[in-house]
Formats: sequence, C-alpha cells, structure tokens
Amino acid sequence: MLTATIFSSLIVFLIAFVLLQKGSLILTTKPLSELLFSSSWYPWRGEFGFYPFIVGTFWVTALAMILAIPVCLLSAIYLAEYASKSVREIMKPLVDLLAGIPSVVYGLWGVLAIVPLIRDYLAPLAGAATTGYSVLAGGMVLAIMVFPIIISVSEEVFRAVPYEVREASLALGATRWQTVKHVVTRKALPGVVAAVILGFSRAFGETMAVLMVVGNVPKAPSSVFDPAYPLPALIANSYGEMMSIPLYDSALLLAALILLLVVFSFSVAARVILMRIERGLR
Amino acid sequence: MNKRGTILIAIILVILTATFAYGYFPNQDLEGTIKVSGAWALYPMMVEWAEEFQRIHPKVRIDLSAGGAGKGMTDVLGGLVDMGMISREIYPEEIQRGALGVAVCKDAVVPTVNKGNPVLNDLLTRGIKRRTFMDVWVSGNVTSWGEVVGRPEVKAKIHVYTRSDACGAAETWANYLRCRQEGLLGVGVYGDPGLAEAVKNDPFGIGFNNLNYAYDNSTGKPIEGLMVAPIDLNANGQVDENENFYDTKAKLLEAIATGVYPSPPARDLYVVAKGEFKGLAKEFVKWILTGGQQHVSQTGYIQLSKEKLAEELKKLS
Repeated sequence: MLTATIFSSLIVFLIAFVLLQKGSLILTTKPLSELLFSSSWYPWRGEFGFYPFIVGTFWVTALAMILAIPVCLLSAIYLAEYASKSVREIMKPLVDLLAGIPSVVYGLWGVLAIVPLIRDYLAPLAGAATTGYSVLAGGMVLAIMVFPIIISVSEEVFRAVPYEVREASLALGATRWQTVKHVVTRKALPGVVAAVILGFSRAFGETMAVLMVVGNVPKAPSSVFDPAYPLPALIANSYGEMMSIPLYDSALLLAALILLLVVFSFSVAARVILMRIERGLR
Repeated sequence: MNKRGTILIAIILVILTATFAYGYFPNQDLEGTIKVSGAWALYPMMVEWAEEFQRIHPKVRIDLSAGGAGKGMTDVLGGLVDMGMISREIYPEEIQRGALGVAVCKDAVVPTVNKGNPVLNDLLTRGIKRRTFMDVWVSGNVTSWGEVVGRPEVKAKIHVYTRSDACGAAETWANYLRCRQEGLLGVGVYGDPGLAEAVKNDPFGIGFNNLNYAYDNSTGKPIEGLMVAPIDLNANGQVDENENFYDTKAKLLEAIATGVYPSPPARDLYVVAKGEFKGLAKEFVKWILTGGQQHVSQTGYIQLSKEKLAEELKKLS
C-alpha cells in the first residue's frame, strides 16, 4: 500500500522530469526570456515565442471560472438547502451526466451552437465584430464542462455541514437565506474552494472541446471576442509537425512542461489559500 | 514399399503441393493488419482502396484514421503506423529521418466562400487573383470584401479562416501563396470538414478545402452553402472561358488533369513509410499503383500518368 501511494505521488515528478529532459534542447538553444515573453511563433524560422499561448490559456480558463463559479455555487446551494428530495434525485444525475459527455461532443456542440450564438447575437450586443471562434466560446464550453465537478463536490460539502449549525442560526432568528449566506457558507468554504480548484484543474487541461471553438490564432487576445490559442490546443494541433521541423518536438514538450508548471503552481497557491481559510475558521 | 517409406513420400508430396499451391495462388494467403493514418485529403480515396483490397484479400485488415498530414508523418516516423497519408511535399528534414514517399494520385485545394457572400456575383465573374489571396492570407493588406472585387463602397470585413492542425491542405495553399502554413493568417479551425463548416456558416468567410470536402460526392456540385471562388489565373480581372471550371467536380478534375489548374494548389498525394515499404504494406501500395488506379476517377481524384506510376513502382523494390 505504501508503495502504491509513493508511486502515485511520484508520477507527477516523473512526468516533469521526462518533459524537462526532452524540452531542455530548446532551453539551451534559445534564451528563456525569449521563449516566455516573445509573441512571435514561426517554428520554421526557429522562432518560438510562448507568450500568446500562456496568456491565451489564462484568459480562457479565467473566463470559464468566472462563468462557472456563480452558477455552480448557486446550484449547489439550491440542491443542498432548498430542493426537495425528489427534485434533487432528478437534478443530480442530470448534472452528473454532463461529466460523462466526451470532450469532442462538447466541441462539436460548441461549433454548432455557441459559435453562431456569439457571432450573431452576443457580439453585436456588445458592439464587437467576430467570427464567433473566440475566448468567449472557449470559456463558455469549458464552463459547462466543469459544472458537474463543482456542483457535485460543493453540494456534498454543503450537505456535510452539521445540521446543528443551521438549527442554532435559525433559533437566533435568522432567515433561511441568512443562515445559508452567513453560517453554512462559512463552514463549507474550504470544501467549496477545493471544488473550485478541481474544476480549474479540469478547465486547464481540456483540449479537444476548446481547440474546436477558440480560434487558434497565435496572438495574445485583447478582448473576450478575440480568438486565442491555449497551450493544450497548441500541443494537440502541432503534434503532427513534431518530427518535421527542427526543435519543434523540443518546443512542444517545453509547452507541456509550462502547462504542468502552471497547473502545479496553481495547485500550490490553492492549497495555501485553503490552509489560511481553515486556520481562519478555527 | 515399407510403411516408413510411404509416410516419408506422403509428407514430401504434401510439402511440395503446399509450396506449389502457395506459389500458384499467392493472393489467397495475404493476411495481417495494415495501419494507415494521415491526411484528410487522401482519406476518402484510401477508404475506397482499403475496401477493395480487403475484398480481394479477406484475411487482410486495414486500420485507417485521418488526423492531418502532419499526424500521418509523425505517426509513421514514430513507428505507430505502417504508412502515412501525406497531402503535401515531403520536407528534407523528414527524408533525413527516413521518410520514403510514393505518389499515389492527385487532387487539389480550392478556395471557398459562403453562398450568401455580399459580393458573390462579382467574385464569380471577376475571380480572385493570386496576389489578392496573398494579401488576404499572408500580408493582411486586404481586409474588406470591397477591396477583393474592386468596389471600395463595400466595407464588409473578410473573416479569414485557415487550418489549426498541421496539415497538407494548409501547407499546399500556403505554398501557392509563397509561404508556409505558419505564415497564414486567420482563425484556425480543426480538420478539413471543420473548415468547410466554418465557411458554410459565415457569410463573410473565406477559406480553403480539399476538393473532395468542398464538393458533394453525389451531386458533383459544391456542398450546400459553399461556393468555390474562381482563381483569376491570368490576372486580367475576369474569369475567362478557360478559367471557368468550378461548377462541377468533373470539370475541375479535368482542369487539374490537364494542368490548367496550377500545381500548387493542386498536388500529388503520397503514402509514406519509414525507410522502406515492406510486407503487407508493400503489397497494398503495389496494388494501389496498378489495380487500384481504376477506382481513382470515380472517387473524385486524378490518376497519375503511366510514366509516373512506373517511376513510383520502382521505389517499392
């Protein structure tokens, strides 16, 4: 059992090590500052600037979380606190069903439904012109993909709050909503943060669905209606030319390493926040 | 004769018969799996060839998948498949890594616009010059549909599309525009069908497709919602009689076969192996270059000339 645990915890380092080994070729040929901050991506000319991809990844993921968190939290609160048992028994499986839908199906649906929605309705509403393939499309599809995770875990967390806490608050004269807002949420906060982190992790890595709707233009976006090019999409799209252009395989493995580092640092930051909250609540 | 002698002679006879039969009916014994992956462009043709080959040799199984020319190349050089389908020229770097390409047929990339384009009539009568294509996709100097057709009062912006995945279609189109796929501007869409879908849904869109995805196989006309933008080959500002062959796939195929449609964007389609073609894959490609050629025209591709086929066959031995 100990071996199994050690094995699973060490895999991350194993992956990072392999990526670093193969990616080191490009690290030795090109200065790190150029790799991380240059915006020019012309592999045939030997120019590998990852900046647009890093920024693109952040834009799409951040937008997805901004769209997902409020909806998920409110849904979880409703399912845990207000819904009757029969409603809950119908809603929960429906939400969980979303988790089972393959990424490609989301991508196809995004192309057929979300992209025209943005192009024909949302963008003109905001006064922007766009093809529809944009950060917003990627964010919306991603948000829907992380719904089941965040709602599921948050709902469990809310239900795990001991009933005595609610009773105490109600006894003091608080309304149901005040109870939820001030008491239950405070107790459930660490769990909810953990749920959001899980959601973020899925959002960072989703490849197929995002690359079908996000536009894939290697230029840092300046508005949600601009196309973007997240790192997973870069790797999936360019895998084909890996063997054909010198240094390209090394560059793509470096992209994978950067993605790993971003997710890793995010996890660490989230852990720190979690610890602070738990300490604060004690 | 004694018993042992009889058995010995019987065994020898059986072995001789089996060898004779094997040599006499070689086709019956071909069996195994061939793994193929790569270009969207060659995929429909390869599906036909695979079906036919599996019909002649029932014990052979051919695993086929698309994914783009780049994926095909990476897969075959990485040893994941027996042969890759490549819809562009093979780079020196790939030859260095052992890629051996055999041309099997020919097709073309065509520029596409939406049927509801505001200046469609002008596009169909004037055509688009290569220079204009370069200004749209490479330099970005032409941004409105009015500039494309010489009517400055039309201000509608062009929505440029290209391919996001490493593929032969984009590389071929880019070669026509004198650059590489990475130099093409526009929103990157995944896969040939994806690009067709994008332009089909966007009245201001412009894109490019392999001709078998731009044209409907059953009707021979461009797929619903799409129109093929004529290339003004002699740059005289109008689509002449001899430049007007985009209404039906048959006319376009003839133009490509006779060389009227330029190469690029027309190009040879290759199958690639690492080092050399061997075993079952070699038999398959041999058949493609001989018996398989009769299926080429009806699937919507162009046969290679007899001389070219003989040349390619030599590469197999």
